[in-house]
Amino acid sequence: MHGLCRFRSTTLSTRARSFSACPTQGPELDRILPTAFTRRGFVCRRLVAAGARFGELAEAAVPLDFGDPASELELARKLGLADLSALPRIGFKGPGTMDWLSGKGVVIDGAKPNWSWRQEGGALAVSRSYSEALILSDLGASGNLCLELDAASEEAQAAKAYSLPRYDGLFWFALSGVESSKCLAKLCGVDLRSRSFSDGAVAQTFVASLSAIVVRADLGSTLSFHLLGDSASAGYFWDCTIDAMDEFGGGPVGLSSLQALGAEVE
Amino acid sequence: MSGGTNRLPEPAGSRIDRGRAIRFGFEGQEYEGFAGDTIASALAANGVWLLSRSFKYHRPRGSMTMAGEDGSALVQVGDEPNVFADTRPIEPGMSVTAQNYFGSLEWDVASLIERFKWLFPVGFYYKAFYRPRGIWNYWEKLIRQTAGLGRVAPATPRRYFDKAYLFCDVAVVGAGPAGMAAALEAAKSGAEVLLVERDPQVGGSMSYVRSAPNGNHDEQALDDFQEQLSTFENLRMMADATCTGLFTDNLLSLVRGNRLYKLRAKSVVVCAGALGQPATFRSNDLPGIVMGTAAQRLINHYGVKPGRRAVMLTSDDDGYGVALDLDDSGVEVAAILDTRRGAATGPMASHAAERGIRVLVGTTVHEATPRPDKLHLSAVLTEQATDAKGMRERIDCDLLCISVGSTPNASLLCQSGAKLQMTDETGSFAVRAIPPGVFAAGSVNGFTEIDAAVADGRRAGGESAQHAGFDVLEIPRAPTPGRVESQYWLGPGHPHGLDFVDFDEDLTVGDIKRGIAEGFEDVELVKRYTAAGMGPSQGRHSALATSRLVAQVTGRRLADVGATTMRPPAYPEKFGHLAGRGFNPVRHTPLQHRHLEAGAQVMVAGLWVRPAFYGPRHRRSESINDEVRAVRQRVGLIDVSTLGGFEIRGPDAGEFLNRIYTLSYDRLRVGRVRYAMMIDDTGVVVDDGVAARLGRNHYYVTASTSGAEQLYPSLLWRQAQWRLDVDISDVTPAYCGLNIAGPASRAVLQTLESDIGFSREDFPYMTVRTGQLVGIHVRILRIGFVGELGYEIHAPSSNAEALWDALSDAGRPFGLRFFGLEAQRVLRLEKGHIIVGQDTDGLTSPLEAGMEWALGRRKRYYVGKRTLDILARKTLTRSLVGYQLSDTEGRIPEEGHLVVRGREIVGRVTSSAWSPTLGRPIGMAYVAPEQAKPGETVQIKVQDGRLLHARVVPLPFYDALNARQEL
Repeated sequence: MHGLCRFRSTTLSTRARSFSACPTQGPELDRILPTAFTRRGFVCRRLVAAGARFGELAEAAVPLDFGDPASELELARKLGLADLSALPRIGFKGPGTMDWLSGKGVVIDGAKPNWSWRQEGGALAVSRSYSEALILSDLGASGNLCLELDAASEEAQAAKAYSLPRYDGLFWFALSGVESSKCLAKLCGVDLRSRSFSDGAVAQTFVASLSAIVVRADLGSTLSFHLLGDSASAGYFWDCTIDAMDEFGGGPVGLSSLQALGAEVE
Repeated sequence: MSGGTNRLPEPAGSRIDRGRAIRFGFEGQEYEGFAGDTIASALAANGVWLLSRSFKYHRPRGSMTMAGEDGSALVQVGDEPNVFADTRPIEPGMSVTAQNYFGSLEWDVASLIERFKWLFPVGFYYKAFYRPRGIWNYWEKLIRQTAGLGRVAPATPRRYFDKAYLFCDVAVVGAGPAGMAAALEAAKSGAEVLLVERDPQVGGSMSYVRSAPNGNHDEQALDDFQEQLSTFENLRMMADATCTGLFTDNLLSLVRGNRLYKLRAKSVVVCAGALGQPATFRSNDLPGIVMGTAAQRLINHYGVKPGRRAVMLTSDDDGYGVALDLDDSGVEVAAILDTRRGAATGPMASHAAERGIRVLVGTTVHEATPRPDKLHLSAVLTEQATDAKGMRERIDCDLLCISVGSTPNASLLCQSGAKLQMTDETGSFAVRAIPPGVFAAGSVNGFTEIDAAVADGRRAGGESAQHAGFDVLEIPRAPTPGRVESQYWLGPGHPHGLDFVDFDEDLTVGDIKRGIAEGFEDVELVKRYTAAGMGPSQGRHSALATSRLVAQVTGRRLADVGATTMRPPAYPEKFGHLAGRGFNPVRHTPLQHRHLEAGAQVMVAGLWVRPAFYGPRHRRSESINDEVRAVRQRVGLIDVSTLGGFEIRGPDAGEFLNRIYTLSYDRLRVGRVRYAMMIDDTGVVVDDGVAARLGRNHYYVTASTSGAEQLYPSLLWRQAQWRLDVDISDVTPAYCGLNIAGPASRAVLQTLESDIGFSREDFPYMTVRTGQLVGIHVRILRIGFVGELGYEIHAPSSNAEALWDALSDAGRPFGLRFFGLEAQRVLRLEKGHIIVGQDTDGLTSPLEAGMEWALGRRKRYYVGKRTLDILARKTLTRSLVGYQLSDTEGRIPEEGHLVVRGREIVGRVTSSAWSPTLGRPIGMAYVAPEQAKPGETVQIKVQDGRLLHARVVPLPFYDALNARQEL
């Protein structure tokens, strides 16, 4: 009727494919630019200016590295900031959220807000409250959890779990490395040290005066945080974080470094 | 040996590296010091004691404490004013100058003021400068020239200051013997401990105070402490960090370098030590007169001989230790003046006697005598401590060391809520009523002997860990209060003055007494009237003496006098520390780069940055007019991503909107769009937008850019009360919004690949369609804010740029032009559409704004309806109308200009612009209701006072039949 059809809450890729932990190098990789896709990251111009090399993932350009993967892996161990905004993510909110997600096989405990659970396949389920959750894809976007949940969003709505377009509404950065909690202490008033904020913990707070979600999700044995916030302020947040990283010798890293860290045995 | 002529041989000088000479400048002269030297110690090593001039009388001053405690040591380093010379390390090439002099430091012309000091009695500034009328304008310039200490250089390059947070279980402030013991004891329990020290090294008094008669300071004990501190992984030391404030819930501010730390601790132990106090006698401020501990710091920390011939003035046994240090360093100790009546019998005193050092019991200093050049001490004149008319003796000396008692360095404790109380026993302050979670230990707690301080530190460490939630098997016992170790000796003052109580403000004993005599008998009032304690030293050396004088003059008991309030910061913080690296979030639409590439001039709208118009700034008007014409005649494209976007979903979604907005939505057909106006409980218009029904239980609602941020919490607040079966989600940043408008807009869209039909029949006015446009999921609303055929396209933000590019390319053959916020304002004004917040204010009801059409008359309830019903029965006091001016008036009113009727203000202009479409100035304004009829003339008073005559006209100005938007 009137050409009206369902407007998908997210535009998640219908054909996600993963990258290997060690990205291929060469001219083909160098040719891929964000402008080749209709979906573009919130800080893609900054990444291009910093010399990022992109690969295609989930129908968007994802920064794989900045030209020197080996030293970048060391940087990620020390202090690295990666833009994961091209990876799928979706949110659900409403009184039926936790039951519906559990019914879909998502491991999440509705009685434990501000916590996250790793899913089989590497995705992360984040409990934001008793009735709101955020699902983050695995770093290779190889699993289809987000896509499957998105495809079932009408069914979810019937169960009073309303989908939220987090792919476009929230930027998604990852801050990794031993210095990451010290770096965050320059931006955030919450105690995010390892001792106080354990792996899996979630803080919904202000980071650089911006409302943000902080999820501790270590990569292998490397301390790591996911940082998500208002996509309209992604550039501002990226700049603030890069500035805060400077004294620790940190810098931007690509997805490949994080994948490599994640593959390391704890 | 280099590094200065006064340099002592090793082992003196624990903090200097004699292998690293550093050259620096002071007052244009080059000097050499060693790495580890402070500016003051390096200058002292070179025989330079004069550092600055005092604030009021420009008297010569040097460092009194060698600890960054007194304002006399403030100097200028390059473009940085007010640097403590006795704590700032020297650096190669550093250029240091003295402060507050006219002429030269040695020959300060302004020191002549001292001869006229009778003209400047205490509180003179409250009694002068106001007569005759207007004279202040003269005095102000003079006072501004002479006031202040360092120079602020406006051209100072921007420096990087920032902030960081710190967390710990137990924070220990001060790493002297008590602080180190407290930190170790707390760390044993497993608590995470942060030990903060202002000095570059830990140790406090252990690093410079003589601990045994025949030895120097207790190096072995200090080494043991340091070794133990390094064994705990849960104990972190932070040297060179100054704690400036202790706030509620144990939030501490720490300054280190260019960074301000905000430390949150479960427990705080304050071990800030005690502050040695000066004695009052004539010329007690001369360079060469220092605290005994200052002389010990010079000797033991920096290897500097503090003088050639010394007199020690003491009221406790500590002074004998200082005398022994001086003697060991080759300084001739001419005499120890002990203010006490009986001879000292302690081990230090016995040792001094064995060395043959002359001791004058019951003796103090009557006055100090300067050298002929007035720049340094040359002798002291003694007097009997209990008999001012007794025998006096002149003793030649270039160094006078003072050790006449101390006061707790209790600023942080007082900030936390503790109180200072003066005790008759010590004649000094003691800390009382320390709040839970805060602990004091060591000399700040009254235990000045090192062993007692250590024991007290262990006790406080255990208690603090326990308070922080850690298991402490046994809390170490507090030391037993022993004999009173120190009795503060104020001194008798001097009949001819210059007996300074406050060195920062040049206040003498007589000044304080005069202030009290004028009726200011409370210490707080004395402080305000005399300014005692208000200088850079913040009363560290004057508060106690002032309180003692108040007690003395008023005859009150010491315990009844009290102390003035201590407020943060305890030590100076730079503006850079407070202002450094503020976070000011901004929001950009995903098209920000495209706008800049297209030459947009941007403007700030709340947190958003939006294009105002496209083109060079100097062609602002032409650009805006061209953009308006493009939309009216061809097609324009504007980024409206800043509009608020909300998903309202659930069985009660329609009912929820019915209650929130003034029109009805539960019967709105799926696929239709309706204007949505929100008023508050007082009937005031607070926001507007449109509501599109996407499904039976699903609406998409837009809100104004400025209102969106407040709207979401307000919707949640209503829902929390109504508890309807509905979900409200703010999706503002998730979707971009592109409005393509103009007679050719449909044609442009029809050239693009889409599963949506754009014909008039398929997609009529005030409907919504979702589908694909150039492969992108879109939600398109056919609405007409600018009064032309138009489509507001909402799409995922990540697709914004690709969509913008596709529309731009497709529109090029049709003459598409980007338009900004300014053109949109003109376009909607021509159409008579209001902007909430611009054409409405905090009191505007829909009845005043001519928005009755947007009220659901048959609705039984919506927020604010009851108020509107009441307002409808009252007479309106103003009405929003459209007006137009004849272009021959030559001027266009500005928004905010007044609408007047004779001498009466009846309204104001809310929107005003030159209409390129109509070729004349138009606007909207509030007028008196009786003036609101079309054809009436109203007067607008513009900036130069001219009155413009405007004619009220019916709205809209353009396309009254709405034919164009419904094409």
